[in-house]
Amino acid sequence: MNLERLPNEEKLSLCRKYYLGGFAFLPFLWLVNVVWFFREAFVKPAYTEQLQIKTYVKRSALGLLLWVAVLTTWITIFQHFRAEWGEVADYLSFTIPLGIP
Amino acid sequence: MNASDSEEDCYNERTALVQAENPALPSYRPEPDPRPAGQCEYVCLSADQEADVDDEELTLKYGAKHVIMLFVPVTLCMVVVVATIKSVSFYTEKNGQQLIYTPFTEDTASVGLRLLNSVLNTIIMISVIVVMTIFLVVLYKYRCYKFIHGWLILSSLMLLFWFSFMYLGEVFKTYNVAMDYPTVGMIIWNFGAVGMICIHWKGPLQLQQAYLIVISALMALVFIKYLPEWSAWVILGAISIYDLVAVLCPKGPLRMLVETAQERNEPIFPALIYSSAMVWTVGMANPSAHSERPAQDAAPLWEGTAHSRWVGGQTSGAQVCLLYFSGGVKLGLGDFIFYSVLVGKAAATGEDWNTTLACFVAILIGLCLTLLLLAIFKKALPALPISITFGLVFYFSTDYLVRPFMDSLADHQFYI
Repeated sequence: MNLERLPNEEKLSLCRKYYLGGFAFLPFLWLVNVVWFFREAFVKPAYTEQLQIKTYVKRSALGLLLWVAVLTTWITIFQHFRAEWGEVADYLSFTIPLGIP
Repeated sequence: MNASDSEEDCYNERTALVQAENPALPSYRPEPDPRPAGQCEYVCLSADQEADVDDEELTLKYGAKHVIMLFVPVTLCMVVVVATIKSVSFYTEKNGQQLIYTPFTEDTASVGLRLLNSVLNTIIMISVIVVMTIFLVVLYKYRCYKFIHGWLILSSLMLLFWFSFMYLGEVFKTYNVAMDYPTVGMIIWNFGAVGMICIHWKGPLQLQQAYLIVISALMALVFIKYLPEWSAWVILGAISIYDLVAVLCPKGPLRMLVETAQERNEPIFPALIYSSAMVWTVGMANPSAHSERPAQDAAPLWEGTAHSRWVGGQTSGAQVCLLYFSGGVKLGLGDFIFYSVLVGKAAATGEDWNTTLACFVAILIGLCLTLLLLAIFKKALPALPISITFGLVFYFSTDYLVRPFMDSLADHQFYI
């Protein structure tokens, strides 16, 4: 899908759908939104819908940063305290490494 | 694990190399847009124009560019498969589990029985494929689009979620990494959901191509794991013959599929085909007949017509412009899968890297030749036969002739 060939209303609609979709625990979708629409929002000369697209891209970026922060924190906590938590950690673990931690 | 039916369809219809729209029209003449709405210009090609550029040159330019455009994804897919095979031992461990499509075991006492079993496995597998293909073509002919879409969605769901979950698990086990369910859940959910959106709806082209490469690689890995040794090689051979028959014979199912799609001016399902660029099917003056995916100005042939923008707005009944833009070549996903199966098996069972590299080169040469033929014949061609033949020949000759030869030379310190 080439964004160049779409009329502006459709670009806006696509951006909005990607933004709304990201709320379903999909930060990756927000990332795609930011990367894909970045040029449209910030590099291209202004057009009517560009302001709205800018807001969506900014909000997606914000949401993405938030999710990255949350996930990094959780992963750090888990990796650090996994051995100490014992049974709970095993229950949460998808793969358990072999050897002595 | 017995793999379920829905993964079969993934490769049935995907073994066809289709040239995106017909580029054979000799030249173009940009037509000024008479309409006042004019938010765009469009290129109108009429068949009775005198050829500006030599036809031969067009053919060669077209062929060369698209060879390169297809090399990259095919190589990427093979690299992913070989990298996984070499690092994650899960996919080379045989623990006796087989697909239900290959019920005969290869753990037999005698060579003859083993050969017989592999041939029988192949016959079963190929018949399943044939039946599924015919079923799909019948559904397509009778316009049961919903059923087909549902089937495709189900199979991509399984590939994107279940197989990638397995893959991720095995990679973590190989590298001895601790991972918790919430994180893994998030990763798989994101990967799968964005994949579904990109493949079946709208998404950036590169991301869609990347996802198609990844699911081909996953599928190839499953085949490498669950197909018994000899059966895999026989199946590869048999499926190239089937591909040849199915695409070239007048009543072949794949040929019928492609022809029906072309008659109806519809693109073949995006989930089955890798396209190197977006393609505009037919632009009639009536916008409702358009495919919704406009083209990109990729091909160097059409230098002057770099702008082919969306033809919005009104129809002008009198002028029917045949707008086609062959921006790329399409390759079925089944081709990706079987190429990767061949190279992956060479990496898994070949003694060293020479075999793998030889098979890789063989497949690329085959692909070049196939694309050359495509440029000459300008119709859908099977992509498997030439590449797989070369690949098989190179595998067996390298493994059994070249390698011992090189080893002896090295032993005797004789450099050539």
